[in-house]
Amino acid sequence: MSALYAVLWKDLVSEWRSRDRLVAMGVFSLLVVVVLYLAAPPGVGPEARAHVPGLLWVAYLFAGVLGLNRAFATELENEALSLLALAPVERGFVFLGKALASFVLLLVVQLATAIAFALAFDLDLWPVAGRLAGVAALGAAGLCSVGTLFSAMAVRTQYREVMLPLLLLPLLVPVLLGAVRATNALLLEGTLPWPALQLLLVTDGVFAIVSFLTFEVVLDE
Amino acid sequence: MKRNTKLLRATAGCLAACAGLWAFFIWRAPIDSMQGPLQKILYVHVPCVLGAYLGFALTAASGALYLWRRDERFDRLSAASAEVGVLFCTLVLLTGPIWAKGTWGRWWTWDLRLTLTLLLYLVYVSYLLLRSFTEGSERAARFAAVYAIAGLTVIPLNYFAIDLAGGRTVHPENLGRGSLGAGMGAPFALGMLTAFAAFAHLLVRRLEVGALRAALDRAEAEAMRREA
Repeated sequence: MSALYAVLWKDLVSEWRSRDRLVAMGVFSLLVVVVLYLAAPPGVGPEARAHVPGLLWVAYLFAGVLGLNRAFATELENEALSLLALAPVERGFVFLGKALASFVLLLVVQLATAIAFALAFDLDLWPVAGRLAGVAALGAAGLCSVGTLFSAMAVRTQYREVMLPLLLLPLLVPVLLGAVRATNALLLEGTLPWPALQLLLVTDGVFAIVSFLTFEVVLDE
Repeated sequence: MKRNTKLLRATAGCLAACAGLWAFFIWRAPIDSMQGPLQKILYVHVPCVLGAYLGFALTAASGALYLWRRDERFDRLSAASAEVGVLFCTLVLLTGPIWAKGTWGRWWTWDLRLTLTLLLYLVYVSYLLLRSFTEGSERAARFAAVYAIAGLTVIPLNYFAIDLAGGRTVHPENLGRGSLGAGMGAPFALGMLTAFAAFAHLLVRRLEVGALRAALDRAEAEAMRREA
């Protein structure tokens, strides 16, 4: 467990000192919001706004992939990744530390993106803010768990920036569908559908377990 | 290598015999009163699904076996199954829309089964890309095995996700016993047999290529060691 805290602390402190990942994710996410508004402006009425929650998740997803791409890229410098692999600790906890650090960063970016999104698309998110944050966190957990696993693989392949989304996106469909459905119901009807939450919870659990168990073989040199 | 040649000849013989009979029975099969000759695509489409699912299941199973035993033969089996599976799935995704355009009036619909098959296809195409973009055969084998296992675990989740999103199915249900009309059973059964024979033949061929590549890599490494 101490490995988890050590990796989490190391990642957050190094991010706090440089802030490059957070800034890149935040600016990129804002750009995506602007581009999405220009490409698909919402009309008036619930029918014309039905696609808006989906767009919010596209922005989250892009920001998440950008951040995850950097999660292990920094570990390549000075062969830090080899040292992580050599550390006499349970590698699953190294995975959890890396995934939690990405999760925290994504939550911050999600908050900024939601505010920009609410302003651009004229949404009143305040009455559902708590529940929306819960859905965003569940989606981010799924994205970061399997994303961290694939990021550790993609960083040691050719075309690493391209490889991560290629690996990640086909597997993220349950997270995306559950999160978009929950957000849709929340924004349009003010309710939180239990089946969508169930799907998110189960997917997060399955992804976390698979990633925790298989990270061991991914980290080998 | 000798054993492989014998196996290749056997599977090629089976394939040729089955394919000949299959074509004959498809030609003789009755023409559907509603869909016309287009319905005969059933005898190609469904058997290809068998090859695709068989390939993907074998990829994940041999990937898991590789992680357990670290025997490179399992990895070669995994890579070969994925390639053959992707080939069959491509055929499924090509023949399906041809049939759909004739019967439903559109090439594609986001139906539960169609979407699941497409996602499965994308997962295994990404699997092949991961293999080809990873340097070092041992590392590629490990990464690919992990990805194949993750790809398999996501199938039931995808099922619930698409069901939840209202992916009502318009695709015909699985064929049950006695649901085929008179004269349709023989070409259908032969189609399944041909797909299986084609799958086995291509798999053995691809395995042979994998074994040759591994032998070449070993010979090159040995030559370099001697030079050094």
